Amino acid sequence: MNIQSSFWDKFLKNKRNKYSLLIFIFFFILSLFAEILSNDKPIVLSMDDKLYFPIFISYTDKEFGGFFDTEADYKDEFITSRLKEESNWAIFPLNPHSYDSINISQSTPNPASPSTYNYLGTDDRGRDVLARLIYGFRLSVLFAFALTAIGIIIGIFFGAIQGYFAGRVDLYMQRFIEIWSSMPELYILIIFSSLFEPSISLLIILLSLFGWMGLSDYVRAEFLKGRNMEYVIAARTLGLSNTKIILKHILPNSMVSVITFLPFRISGAILVLTSLDFLGLGVPPDTPSLGELLAQGKENIEAWWLSLTTFLVLVGTLLLLIFIGEGIRESLDSRSS
Amino acid sequence: MKILKIKNLTVLNRNTKEILLNNISFELNQGEILGIVGESGSGKTLTGLSILGLLDKSIFTIQSGSIIYNDIDILKLSDSQIQKIRTKSISVVFQEPMLSLNPVQKISAQLIEVIRIHMNYSPNEQIKVARDILIKTGLNDTQKILDSYPHMLSGGQRQRIMIAIALVCKPEILIADEPTTALDVTLQLQILELLKNVKSENNMSMVLISHDLDLIKNYADKVIILKNGILLEEGSSFEIFNTPNHEYTKSLINSRPEKLVTKKIESDVLLDIQNLSCRFPINNAFFNKNKKYFTALREINFHINSGETIGLVGESGSGKTTLGLSIMQLLNYSGKIFLNNVDLSSLTLDKLRESRKDYQIVFQDPYSSLSPRMNILEILSEGILSFNNISESEILKKCSDLMSEVGLEPSMLKRYPHQFSGGQRQRIAIARALSMKPKLIIFDEPTSALDVIVQKNILKLIVDLQNKYGLSYCFISHDLKVISAISHRIYVIKDSKIVESNNSDELISNPKNDYTRKLIQSSFII
Repeated sequence: MNIQSSFWDKFLKNKRNKYSLLIFIFFFILSLFAEILSNDKPIVLSMDDKLYFPIFISYTDKEFGGFFDTEADYKDEFITSRLKEESNWAIFPLNPHSYDSINISQSTPNPASPSTYNYLGTDDRGRDVLARLIYGFRLSVLFAFALTAIGIIIGIFFGAIQGYFAGRVDLYMQRFIEIWSSMPELYILIIFSSLFEPSISLLIILLSLFGWMGLSDYVRAEFLKGRNMEYVIAARTLGLSNTKIILKHILPNSMVSVITFLPFRISGAILVLTSLDFLGLGVPPDTPSLGELLAQGKENIEAWWLSLTTFLVLVGTLLLLIFIGEGIRESLDSRSS
Repeated sequence: MKILKIKNLTVLNRNTKEILLNNISFELNQGEILGIVGESGSGKTLTGLSILGLLDKSIFTIQSGSIIYNDIDILKLSDSQIQKIRTKSISVVFQEPMLSLNPVQKISAQLIEVIRIHMNYSPNEQIKVARDILIKTGLNDTQKILDSYPHMLSGGQRQRIMIAIALVCKPEILIADEPTTALDVTLQLQILELLKNVKSENNMSMVLISHDLDLIKNYADKVIILKNGILLEEGSSFEIFNTPNHEYTKSLINSRPEKLVTKKIESDVLLDIQNLSCRFPINNAFFNKNKKYFTALREINFHINSGETIGLVGESGSGKTTLGLSIMQLLNYSGKIFLNNVDLSSLTLDKLRESRKDYQIVFQDPYSSLSPRMNILEILSEGILSFNNISESEILKKCSDLMSEVGLEPSMLKRYPHQFSGGQRQRIAIARALSMKPKLIIFDEPTSALDVIVQKNILKLIVDLQNKYGLSYCFISHDLKVISAISHRIYVIKDSKIVESNNSDELISNPKNDYTRKLIQSSFII
């Protein structure tokens, strides 16, 4: 289609846009394979001429000749010594730690500075910082995607109804939004996180309750404009149903504002999650999160590897998203050449 | 005496290198009105802007040529030097008076600013000069006008103020770029007469840019014809209009709408409108009990017979578009609209939707009446599919037929609206209306946004379709010339009411109402 292809031409013509998008996609896809990149279990393991795939299949300690029915600990002295036997071998991921694996045999006190064993050091509970960064990045981005998607769907839904039907419907819904948006979001979050077990899904639900309003305003404005366009009036005279007019005629022509906001909403969502985690109101304690790492960095100000690395990951991610967003905005703007 | 000489002016689009003005040369004598005629995109506005040195350098490049005014080449001057010439010696009036005035400044500020910059007067004298020029342009209530903001004034008043601003420094040359296109016909005549009088009083020269041939014919001494940036023909107004040389000039002159319908029709009543009134709330106060209303239509009665075209003519704001939308059942109204003896206002929503296929509408602006993100096939098939369930190959066949019906290639079905010209888009809009096989089509200014030659072809198409299918038309326009060319009967609408109706020939030759008479006078003189 013509409009789309000219958009991509414009977008990719700018090198900053192109590389920002490519780098972001690269790191995001890489982080999707976090289990293979950074894990305390080997990718492949051969013991007594039998192949095992511990990342994909869970094996008990007994299967390797141990005593426990629980899952094998591949850092345990028993298994490491068995792996040293002839013809037994294991391939570990590039970073042989998972986000929650605690290194008990570490000789230095935690947080430990970067070493050949923990490339970016450990946090104050002895967990590998690099592993936590990789998993934390993935979680932040996925969380942001989910939050943005839900916000957009709800926002378009309400904005479209308000803008298309206008009049009374618009009036009542606008008043509802005014009341709803004046609720103190942060306090509701604090109250709910003390009432319920904190979890990612609870966080998404709570944030979605409020996150759609900014977007619905824009969609409403686009629909208010669109409903009086002559092609929309023409569609009504052709006897089309309201749903069809909304979906086929007005929505495609109102998507510009939605798409323009997309990257900014994603970066906003990442920032919200990080801030909540920093305050300790976000995800449950064991979950890898950038905000929690920053909080640790604040507690252990001398452990520069905590705050500096997290800061760089966060700034890098947000910067890329803002560059992409800026690029999309410029490419959709028909006035700029 | 030659006051302005333009030699071999060539202007390119800076980015695409497209030639926009190709080697244009002409001269302007003192006291003369030079008319520049051309379709949209012919480069006539560009010519006017280059005389003023107003071309945006980031978009246009002047490749060659010179514009000599008083032995100075305007193209070689620096910005600050041109600044001194603009308004003081060469002045301009643009088409759109709403856009040319700053909405947040009072008229006094905008008018006196010009006087202060270009003339040495004390503050008191400045106000006096401002008042004098307003009186000269026919705005007698000067204090009220000076204290007003642009939105408080009518279109005609705003255009007079633009003229006052342009003329206050007594320039030698005035460039009027479509000065009356945005105004109602009765106002057009007044504004043009005003320009003409001021011109002869000050022995000023004028460049009158317009797409309207009749206007140029009546007011210009000399005419140049532009097409696609090329100067096709030049000559005195008399020569050009009586003995045109170029084929294009001939077709332009022949493009004036001529009578296209003749036979008088005696047949059944298709649409009957009884006591139609329509009003809109002005104050949108929700809790306010005593609402105020603006009455857009007052007690309208009229009918359309089958196979007949009626013309609705009126100024902007007279309610003619509201009437069209009411017939289309797109507005709330009081009164009764009968189509084939069925009262449309009494139908349930489902029945109403069902009835919509009998009446369709074609809008004025072909750019906003087609959804930019749907291709032509989707646009044309949509109405058919909302009432019938038919196979894809049948749809394709039907849409191809529709395309040939309106004179377009069926192979264009996969294209998007922006790939078509204005005239082609209007044909598509007509095809969309036809797709429903309606009995009645309402045309709301269908040709106002089109160039004259295209306009004539569209009008022909409309009449051909009527003869072929026996359609009834309600043709809404501000242009009496178009209306009288195409309608069997004419209704004149003013201030929400129908003031006169008659067969079109009789109405034109023997108007009874004062307003109708004024309308006919302005329409056929210009």
